[in-house]
Amino acid sequence: MAQYRFHSRIVGFFCVFAVFVLFLPAWAAEFPQKDKTIQLMVHWSAGGSSDTGARLIASGLEKELGTSVVVVNRPGAGGQIGYTALSQAKPDGYTIGSTNFPSAISSYLDPNRKATYNRQSFELLALHVLDPGIIAVKADSPYKTLQDVIAAAKAAPKKLRVNTTGIQTDEHFATLWLEQLTGAQLARVHLKGSAPSVTAVLGGKIEVYCGNVGDPQVRGGEFRVLGIMDSERNPFLPGVKTFEEQGYKIYFGSSRGFAAPAGTPKEVVNILSKAIGNVTKTEDHKQKMLNMGLTLRYLDPAGYKKYWDEFEAKMRDLMPLIQKES
Amino acid sequence: MDAFSNLMMGFSVALLPQHLMLAFVGSLLGTLIGVLPGIGPAAGTAMLIPLTFSMGPTGAIILLTALFYGTQYGGTITSVLLNVPGEAASAITCLDGYAMAKQGRAGVALSMAAIGSFIGGTFAALCLVLAAGPLTRLALQFGPVEFFTLVLLGISLLMGLAGKSMIKALMMGVFGLLLAMIGMDPVRGLPRFTFGTMELMDGISFVPVIMGLFGVGEILLNAEKPFAQMVLAKMSTLIPNRQEMRDSLGPVVRGSLIGTLLGLVPGMTNSASSFLSYIAEKKSSNYPERFGTGMLAGVVGPETANNAHANGALIPLFTLGIPASPTVAIIMGAFMMHGLIPGPLLFKDHPGIAWGVIASFYIGNVMLVILNLPLIGIWVKLLKIPYGILSAIILSFTVLGAYSINNSVFDVLVMTLFGVIGYLLRKMDFPLAPAVLTLILGPMMESSLRTSLEMSQGSFGIFLESPVAVVFLVLTAVILIAPSFSFFRKKKQSLAAGEEDLL
Repeated sequence: MAQYRFHSRIVGFFCVFAVFVLFLPAWAAEFPQKDKTIQLMVHWSAGGSSDTGARLIASGLEKELGTSVVVVNRPGAGGQIGYTALSQAKPDGYTIGSTNFPSAISSYLDPNRKATYNRQSFELLALHVLDPGIIAVKADSPYKTLQDVIAAAKAAPKKLRVNTTGIQTDEHFATLWLEQLTGAQLARVHLKGSAPSVTAVLGGKIEVYCGNVGDPQVRGGEFRVLGIMDSERNPFLPGVKTFEEQGYKIYFGSSRGFAAPAGTPKEVVNILSKAIGNVTKTEDHKQKMLNMGLTLRYLDPAGYKKYWDEFEAKMRDLMPLIQKES
Repeated sequence: MDAFSNLMMGFSVALLPQHLMLAFVGSLLGTLIGVLPGIGPAAGTAMLIPLTFSMGPTGAIILLTALFYGTQYGGTITSVLLNVPGEAASAITCLDGYAMAKQGRAGVALSMAAIGSFIGGTFAALCLVLAAGPLTRLALQFGPVEFFTLVLLGISLLMGLAGKSMIKALMMGVFGLLLAMIGMDPVRGLPRFTFGTMELMDGISFVPVIMGLFGVGEILLNAEKPFAQMVLAKMSTLIPNRQEMRDSLGPVVRGSLIGTLLGLVPGMTNSASSFLSYIAEKKSSNYPERFGTGMLAGVVGPETANNAHANGALIPLFTLGIPASPTVAIIMGAFMMHGLIPGPLLFKDHPGIAWGVIASFYIGNVMLVILNLPLIGIWVKLLKIPYGILSAIILSFTVLGAYSINNSVFDVLVMTLFGVIGYLLRKMDFPLAPAVLTLILGPMMESSLRTSLEMSQGSFGIFLESPVAVVFLVLTAVILIAPSFSFFRKKKQSLAAGEEDLL
């Protein structure tokens, strides 16, 4: 009897110990705490599509993580104000921010902008949207294929006009890449955003439209899309070939992801990254992104890092061409 | 007749009780957001978007669009009563609106502004139904070349804003242009006059500047006198009399046309519309010298124009899916959230939604005028608050408003600095309006000039190739040269008179 009691005491002790050991790491890494708010910094003004996309993720994250996630807009200097603030935030996982390509990279590649951060200043969490670049023309344009456009640009250098949506935007880099690859020379016109670009192309002021799959106007029948700068075709533009299929290995576009300041603990990064992944997999989120014309593409931290490095390498390659223009 | 029957079908959708309620809520919120300095239509619409996720698409868009054009009504109120622009497009209204308030005619100014806004908004909404096709083709004529010549025409009108001294007006115009140079160069992306700060890379934010120049500057000036003396004239009447109604007819017609046409052009802001309308009023008035001292036309014209602009900017959205202003881009985002793509296909695929929303514009504008006219009696009571207390309240609201634009303290500092500048300029009798005009048009002029030259590979000949551009250039030349002829004529006359005196 005494022995049995002793035995049970040992068992009891081990049980308690085991429970303690099992939960110890869980206490240490209890993230997020229910009473702490996570700030999601968006480096663009409220109401734009980056902001709306981030807000959708934020409301999904609240359900996943069981704590409140608040979107804070820190617009300015093409995202640089926000990226700087993010890189200097406390690395505890309670401040995370959006990282958009190409602005997140171009802002520190351009020496004129004197950015105080680079890739190493961020702990990448996840990529969630990739909006591939496209080349299109007006529906009644004589150019039927990508080859037609390139041939015309070669025949008369710097005569064929193409828009960008601004300096150092994805359209700027993409058109430079096209020139670098084919030797064609286009006349680049830097307009402010996609609305004036669409107007200029439909009004016949500019011959070639450079934009993204997500631009709603290109799906309205007024445009003929000639190619998608992605490794695969896109469900939003059925029947449109990729650049690769037409013999031009160009993969560019804008993308949106999330990052935390460098030094954020590994476990916290994993929790956040997984939670973002879960949100992007819900039917409701998929439907909303579909409505907005945005192509979902989830990449985990490792995949995002690889994508970032490849993207940055290409931009470093093209950056001197931009500097030469100015 | 086809458009008519479609519109009737739209009314049957828009008149559903839940849609009527949403139009009302949107109008009310819009008015309130317009009243609050700093928070403009874009921020207001953006804040409301998450609330509309759970609504049906028609209701959501009715709510957001009503809020959008509702802000244009609200912005007038603080401009007239307190000399603080409630939002950017109402800055110019301060000049004559506040002067009218000082004379006890705030009620008249606000009533006529509301009526003008109603007519302007409804006119643009009518254009959307009756002439959307031709107007859209007109909008497509506007590339960078046409845009530049239009802006050049606008800047040449600057002289129309001159008060007593032309030199001072020109100096202020150049001051505005210099301010507009701050920030990243629009074509090469090089930072200019940023002193290494990121905050200046996007240039100086417009709203803090005008809140400082007009609102804070005015308070500082008033602080020179003992507050007890700051008693405004007794409020005489709220209802405009017959003469005032008749005087407003011209401004309303011109404002509606200017606002609707400029609203069509992507990149044109409604502040530009209200400024140009103000100048048009001053030019066409028999008493241009009285502007700035409380001319009703200086309030009615711009307020009509900015409402017509707000509704006119929705025309390219419905016909082509092109958002002509930042706020319209946000509304377009709301369409897309609900799986709808604005543009010609919307009328084919979802006629109920498209026409329902358009019909709601008429309903919303009627609601706004009904809502605003009785409220004016309440708003003007604000002026009964002792000025010492009122000025403190205004200051705290402007600080909050400046901060709320970008969540940035920097904007508060900009506003404070421009408050001091505004005070000094008033002391030295410099007109503020020319600086604000060039601050609005300067960046547009620079970027459109440089994109035009990119299009032509540097040749200025491109400005003569477009008929639209040539028309604008000729008009600009006429405006610049005409006054010097009359100046010489006058000089000759006075010389002749002088000679006679000598003889």
